[in-house]
Amino acid sequence: MINLEVKIPDTPGSLVELIKPISQNGGNIYGILHFHDRKLNNMIPVNINFELIEDIKETSLQNIKLELKEKNIQIENISYGIERKGIIILLTGHVFGTDILDTLQRLASKNIKVLELHAKFTEFEEVSNVKLKIEFSEGITKNEIINEIKMICDEKELFLITN
Amino acid sequence: MNIKICLIGMGVVGTSFLQLLKEKEEFFKRKFDLKFIVNSIFEIDGALIKEDGIGLKELLNNKKNIKDLPYWKNGLKAIDLISKLPIDVCIETTPTNHKTGEPGLTHITEALKNHIDVISSNKGPFYLEYEKIKNLAKENNCSLKFEATVASSVPTLSIRENLIGNEILSLKAILNGTSNYILSRMTAEGVNFSFALNEAQEFGYAETDPTLDIEGYDAAGKLVIIANDLLGWSKSINDVKIEGISKITPQSIELAKSEGYVIKHLAMAEMNELIVKPVLIDKSSPLNINGTLNVIELQTKYAGPIILIGRGAGGFEAASAIINDLVNIGIKRQALS
Repeated sequence: MINLEVKIPDTPGSLVELIKPISQNGGNIYGILHFHDRKLNNMIPVNINFELIEDIKETSLQNIKLELKEKNIQIENISYGIERKGIIILLTGHVFGTDILDTLQRLASKNIKVLELHAKFTEFEEVSNVKLKIEFSEGITKNEIINEIKMICDEKELFLITN
Repeated sequence: MNIKICLIGMGVVGTSFLQLLKEKEEFFKRKFDLKFIVNSIFEIDGALIKEDGIGLKELLNNKKNIKDLPYWKNGLKAIDLISKLPIDVCIETTPTNHKTGEPGLTHITEALKNHIDVISSNKGPFYLEYEKIKNLAKENNCSLKFEATVASSVPTLSIRENLIGNEILSLKAILNGTSNYILSRMTAEGVNFSFALNEAQEFGYAETDPTLDIEGYDAAGKLVIIANDLLGWSKSINDVKIEGISKITPQSIELAKSEGYVIKHLAMAEMNELIVKPVLIDKSSPLNINGTLNVIELQTKYAGPIILIGRGAGGFEAASAIINDLVNIGIKRQALS
């Protein structure tokens, strides 16, 4: 997650001028804080949080900085937040019958935190469908998490779907 | 310019191709100065051969009884005659054999070895022996086109010509209409997999044996072709990690919905890996298309996502892609003559 702090003039369209380079470089904007109450010399502080496409993050960020400079938008600060990422996983099979507590404990031992668990049952053979909301921090990738979960699923013959 | 065509396979795609060819005869002449002459049509048990050109009107009026036509000969095989007939372009539309690619693979290689340009809607040869076919085409200085093997009339492979200034980094796609129809019905109606599959079969959206579709092999084959042709990879179907949709339940779809997701059978190429599997996608994603449609999302370096959506199967859909390839070959031949 990238947090950009800038100052923009209090004129119509200036916010759009700030957003354009970010969205044109693949930025996915999560939030904009527009501090109108802190206006000084007709300049308003704005914080904008966004993510960039991982593969081309560096290039995109360079382009954004250049384009903002060309528009005379001064960047006051850039910071990179520690992002807590979430995954939703669906398990289908004998989720409870294969010792769900063991499954959760094994996830926990890999620093995979289960925030929520929801279950629905089908009519036949006690097959259950379980949704887990999982959280992990930077330092481990989503693929690594999914690989860990996949190993457990393969062992317990659980069908796995992730986002 | 006259272009002599050999058509192998007069099934749904082959017949639709002939119909379009007849329909657009005047247009090709007027716009491109091209005249396409079909001088041979091969079926499994014989062929129609007429060197000065088969009359398409008569043929299409008798399409259910082609063996009654005077120039039908029993027992003739394409493999034996490709090298002997005066052919400029061979169009291969026989059904895919996902294990061997035959007889389509041999039709294609024989044509190329005899310096005949090739167009194919048969994908098996291309996901089994892509490099072999491409190399043969190059060695024999032949045009090789196969747009109809992937997502039918959606211009997937040909988009390469319009992305020269860009770079495709990865892709996600729905490439099988059968599995997408089934999942769409399960999502919309809450029915189980078996019910949705039966319905798909009744409507003709699924084969009697739907294994290749629902288990992901059809999508995997198309993914290999796209990855090799658009991304420049060198993969075969054995390199794809494949998971089907038969274990998806209405309850898991409901759980997905509660988080704002839908379950789609995605074919993905990223970080040198090919994967076909059910995935949770945001319901607002452009990949969330319903029914039998296909969608391809290309992630590009300089333009972000580029998305193509359209009908991925059907006689006329595939035939229109073949016509496109044919006209492009015709234009190239004119330029070289």
